[in-house]
Amino acid sequence: MEVEPELASVEVKHLQRCINDLISLLALPAIWSGGDPSQVLHTLLDALMRMLHLDLVSVRLTDPVGMAPVEIVRLAELRGPMPSAHEICEAFSQSLKNDSRKWPPLLQNLMGEGEVSIVSLPLGLQGELGVIVAAAERTDFPRQTEALLLSVAANQASIGLQEARLLSHQKRVASELDQRVVQRTAELATANEDLKKELAERRLVEERLGQEETELKRSEVRKAAIVDSALDCIVTIDHEGCITEFNPAAERTFGYRRDEVLGKHLADVVIPPSLREKHRQGFARYLGTGEARVLGKRIEMTAVRADGSEFPVELAITRIPLEGPPSFTGYLRDITERNRARQELRRSQAFLAEAQHLSRIGSFSWRVPTDEIAWSEQLYRIFQIDRDAQVTFELIGTRIHPEDLSLFQEHIERSRRERSDVQLEFRLQMPDGAVKYVHVAAHIRGDHGQLEYIGAVQDVTERRASEAALSKARSELSQVARVTSLGVLTASIAHEVNQPLSGIVTNASTCLRMLAANPPNVEGARETAQRTIRDGNRASEVITRLRALFSKKSVTIQSIDLNEATREVIALSLSELQRSRVILRQELAHDLPLVTGDRVQLQQVILNLLRNASDAMSTIDDRPRDLLIRTDTDDNDRVRLSVRDVGIGFERQAADRLFEAFYTTKNEGMGIGLSVSRSIIERHYGRLWATPNEGPGVTFSFSIPCRPEGLTSDGTRSSRVPSVSDAA
Amino acid sequence: MELRQERRAIERSLISVVDDDESVRESLPDLLGEFGFAARAFSSAEEFLASDCVGQTRCLILDVVMPGMSGPELQRELKLLRRELPIVFITAQREEAVHPQVLEQGGIECLFKPFSDTALLEAINSAFRPK
Repeated sequence: MEVEPELASVEVKHLQRCINDLISLLALPAIWSGGDPSQVLHTLLDALMRMLHLDLVSVRLTDPVGMAPVEIVRLAELRGPMPSAHEICEAFSQSLKNDSRKWPPLLQNLMGEGEVSIVSLPLGLQGELGVIVAAAERTDFPRQTEALLLSVAANQASIGLQEARLLSHQKRVASELDQRVVQRTAELATANEDLKKELAERRLVEERLGQEETELKRSEVRKAAIVDSALDCIVTIDHEGCITEFNPAAERTFGYRRDEVLGKHLADVVIPPSLREKHRQGFARYLGTGEARVLGKRIEMTAVRADGSEFPVELAITRIPLEGPPSFTGYLRDITERNRARQELRRSQAFLAEAQHLSRIGSFSWRVPTDEIAWSEQLYRIFQIDRDAQVTFELIGTRIHPEDLSLFQEHIERSRRERSDVQLEFRLQMPDGAVKYVHVAAHIRGDHGQLEYIGAVQDVTERRASEAALSKARSELSQVARVTSLGVLTASIAHEVNQPLSGIVTNASTCLRMLAANPPNVEGARETAQRTIRDGNRASEVITRLRALFSKKSVTIQSIDLNEATREVIALSLSELQRSRVILRQELAHDLPLVTGDRVQLQQVILNLLRNASDAMSTIDDRPRDLLIRTDTDDNDRVRLSVRDVGIGFERQAADRLFEAFYTTKNEGMGIGLSVSRSIIERHYGRLWATPNEGPGVTFSFSIPCRPEGLTSDGTRSSRVPSVSDAA
Repeated sequence: MELRQERRAIERSLISVVDDDESVRESLPDLLGEFGFAARAFSSAEEFLASDCVGQTRCLILDVVMPGMSGPELQRELKLLRRELPIVFITAQREEAVHPQVLEQGGIECLFKPFSDTALLEAINSAFRPK
């Protein structure tokens, strides 16, 4: 191709300048390395001003966390009063607001009469870092080479800013994480202590309940023993109070032989001297007036044995229905044992009440046929109801949280109908608005007319609060894990970008050398310059691809081709896998149905599985580090993805622990990836599991339904209420 | 004067480039040509070993990370073959650990992509400098 010498020399100069500028731009990171964002920007703006003969260039950095937005402006020359950086940036963002990508638009020159061409360049994958605005009065601005320079400059600045920001962010995250781990460990330890205490208290209550039952049984046995051996003393007396009968039990009890006491006054024999007078008076009153205070009743009194020792007895006196002068039968029973049992029972009841108080467990009984409800003291305390109040379902209802009232009533009705054991958790609302969580467990007893529920109510408010705190901690940790895995990715991003940059620099150097030769090799220079531009575009494609992968911040439900999502992750991880000498094989099923879910989250899971597989094989040297990733459909209309490695594997019993947060077989790494992955998959109504291979290694798989229940195609939750068409 | 003769002696010496990245294989030989060397490019260590260039190569510019045989593995392989060439490593991975490791094994220099033409020329010159 013939080139006009003059034209050629102009083109040569132009290209030479462009290439020089490009190299200067590529050298900038070395200058600002380790500097803060504003240093990066000052250097860059000065360079652009100089290279492109701009009339104005400004940058606005949207707020890095905890800092004010940075706004810097460079003007070619002053024309009248200089507007402030903020005014200029505001003016530009106003004019470019509608469509910042459509450039260059023309607008009134801020500084003078003419018009300026303006180029705006977003900083960062999505312009989230800020924007550079360059303006020149030339109508040919920007030329193709200038556009390339600006785009390279913006990319350089983005990477520089990202690195500066990531560096400080990582430091912060690391220290925050340390703090949080310390704090959470302490909290978990406390929660653990509390749980232990609670368990111990519960065990105590159970033991007390058991003891009480044993005590009752024992006392029954004692009574039975008394009755069985005819322990009731039977003594009869005549109208004068003289003993006419004295049975063997009485002999044993009082220590007299029958013939010793027959004919003697009863009072003289069995009644302690201090009470004898009273007895005589009562006996005389009866005989005189017929008024009896003791007849036909069981009374407790003190009796005395032959040896003078006193003991408690239960006494029942009946009149023998015979004609003639009245005679009486007295049934006497030694109740020493019974009194002791009663005392012990009282003591253990006190213990039980105390234990219930400590463990915040109250007990109740509910007689179903009559709706009689009895509460323990602690239960009154839990419900904050006056101890004397009559407990009814209506009264209980006033304490139940309005949102849980219908649930509670439904359970009561079901318990009435089904007569089965009850396990229920609901909320109470106290008069002062405080909310309590209670857990109810009740067993049914008795039959038909005697149905009765016996149960316990536990105040679990504190446990609920600590559970909520734990789940919050867990979600914070998953956020940290997200940031950490992004940090790891930065390395592979740098690799992806450095490859084409290397081509750019080498081609540009060659181009300069060809142009500097005598005579200049214009044709060769043109070819290398074209390669420079092509590599520049390649670098920007890499950025675009990364943008697609990381830009989405919130959860978006959409239809996803899992194969395509997998290929994108593979493209990003390939260099890392190659570096680890992993041989990746893909078996992606044809005609794989679309699944519904969040693309980026699923890709994070896939990335995590690939990285785990690669890490598991990092010490394997006696066999090829084969990694198989495959997709297919299973029988239940679910799409399955599995990643199979030949790594160190894991012990079978550890399979379940793998998914716990902080469980890791790696020396580095937080071991949190799998736990987060599992929760992502579960949010997609799927499951994630691991199986050891026949040979070495492990296969991790997840499967998710093509159309998860509860999710409609537009991502909203479907209503459970049957629609008209369901009824038809 | 002596320097110039030495320079002429090494001119047209064959430098082989082994890199799986196509843009490097396209651009480096041209630059090496501008430096006055003959250059050949290979996309993998295996391809280089199978070629007839191993014997004629006076200097090797070698990518560290490649699918299949890696750069350091090729370095070991050449040592076993008793073909100890001066090697200039190039890598896009800024991993500090790789750097001293390959140099310990007798590498001349390890350049991080993107590298400047002068840095490359310096490395090649020290490769040709008699020990």
